[in-house]
Amino acid sequence: MSTSFSGTLADNANRSLKEFFLMMQEFFFFSIRAFITIPKLRRYWRDFLDQAKIAGTDSLPIVLVSSISIGALLAVEVGNLLEDFGAKTMLGRSTALSIIRELGPLLMGLMLSARYGSRNGAELGAMKISEQIDALRAFGTDPIAKLVMPRLTAALVVFVPLTAIADFSGLYSAALIAEHYHKIDPGIFWNAVFPRLVLKDFVVGFLKAPVFAVIITLVSSFNGFIATGGTAGVGRSTIKGIVVSSGLLLIANFYVSKLVLENM
Amino acid sequence: MIELQNVTLRYGDRQILDGISLAIEDSKIKAVLGPSGVGKSTILKLILGLLKPNNGRILIDGVDITSMKESQLYPIRKKMGIVFQGNALFDSLTISENLGFFLRENEKLSEDEIEERVREQIEFASLEGYEDSLPEDLSGGMKKRVAIGRALIFRPGMILFDEPTAGLDPVSSKKILGLIGSLRKKSGLGAVLVTHIIDDVFQVADSVAVLYKGKIIFDDDTEKLHDSNHPFIQSILSDKILEQ
Ligand SMILES: Nc1ncnc2c1ncn2[C@@H]1O[C@H](COP(=O)(O)OP(=O)(O)O)[C@@H](O)[C@H]1O
Ligand SMILES: [Mg+2]
Repeated sequence: MSTSFSGTLADNANRSLKEFFLMMQEFFFFSIRAFITIPKLRRYWRDFLDQAKIAGTDSLPIVLVSSISIGALLAVEVGNLLEDFGAKTMLGRSTALSIIRELGPLLMGLMLSARYGSRNGAELGAMKISEQIDALRAFGTDPIAKLVMPRLTAALVVFVPLTAIADFSGLYSAALIAEHYHKIDPGIFWNAVFPRLVLKDFVVGFLKAPVFAVIITLVSSFNGFIATGGTAGVGRSTIKGIVVSSGLLLIANFYVSKLVLENM
Repeated sequence: MIELQNVTLRYGDRQILDGISLAIEDSKIKAVLGPSGVGKSTILKLILGLLKPNNGRILIDGVDITSMKESQLYPIRKKMGIVFQGNALFDSLTISENLGFFLRENEKLSEDEIEERVREQIEFASLEGYEDSLPEDLSGGMKKRVAIGRALIFRPGMILFDEPTAGLDPVSSKKILGLIGSLRKKSGLGAVLVTHIIDDVFQVADSVAVLYKGKIIFDDDTEKLHDSNHPFIQSILSDKILEQ
């Protein structure tokens, strides 16, 4: 009795492990296909522009709001802390480093995972369950080239300027807090920012943008493509896309920082 | 000519089709009748190479497509059009754009030629005045006619219908079945029609295969269905609609 029960458990574990690896394999081929169809970008230029607008201009408000508030918050807290050590003039440097290397790109990534990723997952999932993706294949169009590649390239293109905007608006709001809350002269603040930043700091921050673009687009699109089970299934696969891509984002964030800072 | 030879299909470890064989001749209307969830849509996906069987072979005009790559399948698929159960129209495109979409995507035709063919289909489907509407603004029967137009615009030799009357009111159903019949009469277009509604079969199909629990339990001329003494067929003949 008990042996057959544990036998079934092991069986099930075996099966889900097998299913997991099959899915990873599928995801791998899906991702390769999204990259090797990039030469078809001209043909799907309209789709690219639509997606660039959705990922870029339409995402601008949420990126601005989050980076401005986190910049302000950081300046208040770090300013108070530095004041205790009598090192308030270092505020510019410390906020600049954390925003450009870590918080600017990470926040932008998380916001886009929620915004762009969820939209991809839901839209493609709805297309999957209404057989529109099958229809593309049935009538001779590669659905990955038509639907995923433009999303991927759009994200790759717009995430870099979005990061720059997130960095700058975060820093700028930190500078305002420094001036009006901590009474630090703006000249002193900015002087502690730019001359002190080195190439490495920008590489760390801006390398994250394309890495995040790839993670968010491919994970959310893949989850849309494998949606099954009606409307509820689309909901499930959309959530899964966001959870997985946000998790991977945090991991990738750590490793990009570690690799670049150790090797440059 | 479409042939399925000993085709077995499993989703995970659930066996759906258990070694079925089926032949569909050109210029004939063949129905596949069976209860919901028996694997009818699956058969259409196998014919188009959208799915691969676990066992057995699928031949289109004598060519084995079973192990073909996606890129090799495109020219094969062009011989057939498909009308999906939920139509699968693109909801952000207008009716005209939906009709012309795959011509623009995959054929090297001039814009004039494409517009001409779209006009033909609009006329054929009696959709004049709806060219610039979105699918959501159309009735079920009209959407179905757009989906049929989208399949016909390639001028295929064979058309696959997945439950073409499911969800339609009786009048629209009759219209759609009439359309399918007239296509065969006018242009010799063959069709595979999968359905769970036995009236569809009697109205248009030359022959019918009955799919039940993974097997084909009947495959012959439509009229001979009455002679079958299989209990399942007996029960559907008296009930008309199959629900499990
Ligand atoms: N991609 C899939 N993965 C797992 N099961 C599936 C998939 N597609 C269909 N099925 C299951 O296979 C059975 C047959 O499906 P289908 O061919 O759509 O049936 P029918 O069209 O006859 O109603 C159903 O029980 C369905 O739930
Ligand atoms: Mg079906």
